[in-house]
Amino acid sequence: MWSRNALACCSKQSRAACAQLRSRTLATVTDAAGPSSAPTSTPKASPSRSSKASIQAAVVLNRSPIITRTPNPLERAYYAYQSRIQRALFNPFPDEFYFRPGSILEGQFNAEEKQREKLAFGGPSVKEKPIQTLVDSDDQVGKQQQQPMPRIHEADIKGDVRSLDRQMERNLYLLVHGKDSAGKDVWRFPQGGVEEGQALHQAAERDLYAECGEDMDTWVVSRKPIGVMEPSSASASSPQAYVFFYKAHILAGQATPNGKTVKDLAWLTKEEIESRVDQQYWASVKDMLSDS
Amino acid sequence: MSAAVTKVPRHIAPPAAQSIRPTRAAPRIRKPLKRDERGRPIPHVNVIVRDTYACRLSDHYRNTLRDDLMYMTYTHEPNPKPVRPVPPRFDPNDPYAKFRYNPPLGGTQSFNVPQDSVTADNIVQLERIQLHTMAKEAFGNRSSLLPVIMAFRAISGETEHSGGQRTVEGVQIVKGKQNIGGWTRLGHPIGAKVDLKGPKMYDFLSVLVDFVLPRVRDFRGFPMQLPSQALTLPHSGSGVVSIGLSPDALAFFPQIEVNLDAYPKLFGMHIHFVTNAFGAGAQNRARALLSGFRVPFARV
Repeated sequence: MWSRNALACCSKQSRAACAQLRSRTLATVTDAAGPSSAPTSTPKASPSRSSKASIQAAVVLNRSPIITRTPNPLERAYYAYQSRIQRALFNPFPDEFYFRPGSILEGQFNAEEKQREKLAFGGPSVKEKPIQTLVDSDDQVGKQQQQPMPRIHEADIKGDVRSLDRQMERNLYLLVHGKDSAGKDVWRFPQGGVEEGQALHQAAERDLYAECGEDMDTWVVSRKPIGVMEPSSASASSPQAYVFFYKAHILAGQATPNGKTVKDLAWLTKEEIESRVDQQYWASVKDMLSDS
Repeated sequence: MSAAVTKVPRHIAPPAAQSIRPTRAAPRIRKPLKRDERGRPIPHVNVIVRDTYACRLSDHYRNTLRDDLMYMTYTHEPNPKPVRPVPPRFDPNDPYAKFRYNPPLGGTQSFNVPQDSVTADNIVQLERIQLHTMAKEAFGNRSSLLPVIMAFRAISGETEHSGGQRTVEGVQIVKGKQNIGGWTRLGHPIGAKVDLKGPKMYDFLSVLVDFVLPRVRDFRGFPMQLPSQALTLPHSGSGVVSIGLSPDALAFFPQIEVNLDAYPKLFGMHIHFVTNAFGAGAQNRARALLSGFRVPFARV
């Protein structure tokens, strides 16, 4: 199931967040980062909070699904049923247009087609394996040995969360283990501060590069953030930050932790992220992540 | 979106069935069906073929492209400008204009309307693909359209009312609409076209992108306009992206390649990608969607 609510929530949340930010005087937030600006413009909004809050940019780095989703039993039964209807109704295949009459290829095709027909409408006594055709060559032997690649990667069996090949049917997101804006060791998305005069989307790209290394090609999807995490009112004493999230895709390579701010990393699905991050962080990021 | 569905690890699910074998034997026929005038059995119900497999590109659109396109096309307008009312062409109080078609002054300007605010429900989406070609030889010799029709049938897999779908038109013959000397004649067949929708549309797109375009010689991408071009020109305000394929590219379709000798002559074609993008900058949004499906565009 695809998260329609995620899309709706993201846009709504970011819009609501921006509206809130405006009412809380965004200018004071940026002023806090750069002490050179005039503090006189700060209006009545809670002064202890706005003096400490800063802006940070984070990147939700996504690895898209590599293979199609495995259909569930109902879907499989449905597709099988529809395929049989299609086979029963389709127009006759123009053999003479595609094969020279009496050629080996035509005989092979007809034999295979007969077997397929039998599989579709024959009943329970039909064996699953197709009957060997009379034509026997090296190609046939090679075809028999060909098997589709497994849909489960070694990384899934080993439980290697750093591998990009795990959970091939799902959207994966890069989570890093490092210090957050308050200096605590947490699991979070790659993030960093915004320098004076730097655009937010450029800051996001630079921070991802700084934390996860140069060994990968990424693409930040848009210049607009997809969501924001506001500082919690509970921990008013610690330094606080508005974290703006950007969506990005990994195109090639692999992330490598820089060892300083980031110690470890993991490629996780939405459910796995929930168990690693704290409650407040999860509440603000969960609608940006895809359920599929 | 129940929690139970998301909690089940999907890679544990059994692999897809290898065959389309029924679960049990078909019931014995006790009373034969009625036959129509051509001897074909008439079923008791209207049998319609629906999807027979999960479509890869359609999944890709739902998983990845839809989110990305929303983020890319979203415009942040906290305080939208009020729309200036355009007076109608005729005075609506005038009794002479009471039942008359009364468009706004200066035309409807549908290509000039600003983009609606982007929500999860109106993200740009591929609606259909139309293949179209004109066979000039058909002007003198109607039967020269036959290979064109055969090739379109092979490429698209569409036939008229295929799978009992009433709206599927299959390959259609295009007839001349006017008399123009040496070019068209009224009512004379001069070309063929086929509309693709749904899974077959995505199949065609993946074949085009995976097998055909990488093998076209000296191909750097489909040309597009300079960035300086205004977004409110009639062309930029349309959500239809049209590209052209040369005759030698036709041989790269696997469906044609398998018996290339059967076609006496290769022909080029127009491919129209019809999207639901509308209004100013719609062409750019439609191209953004297509490049998400790996159709290459380049400024030349």
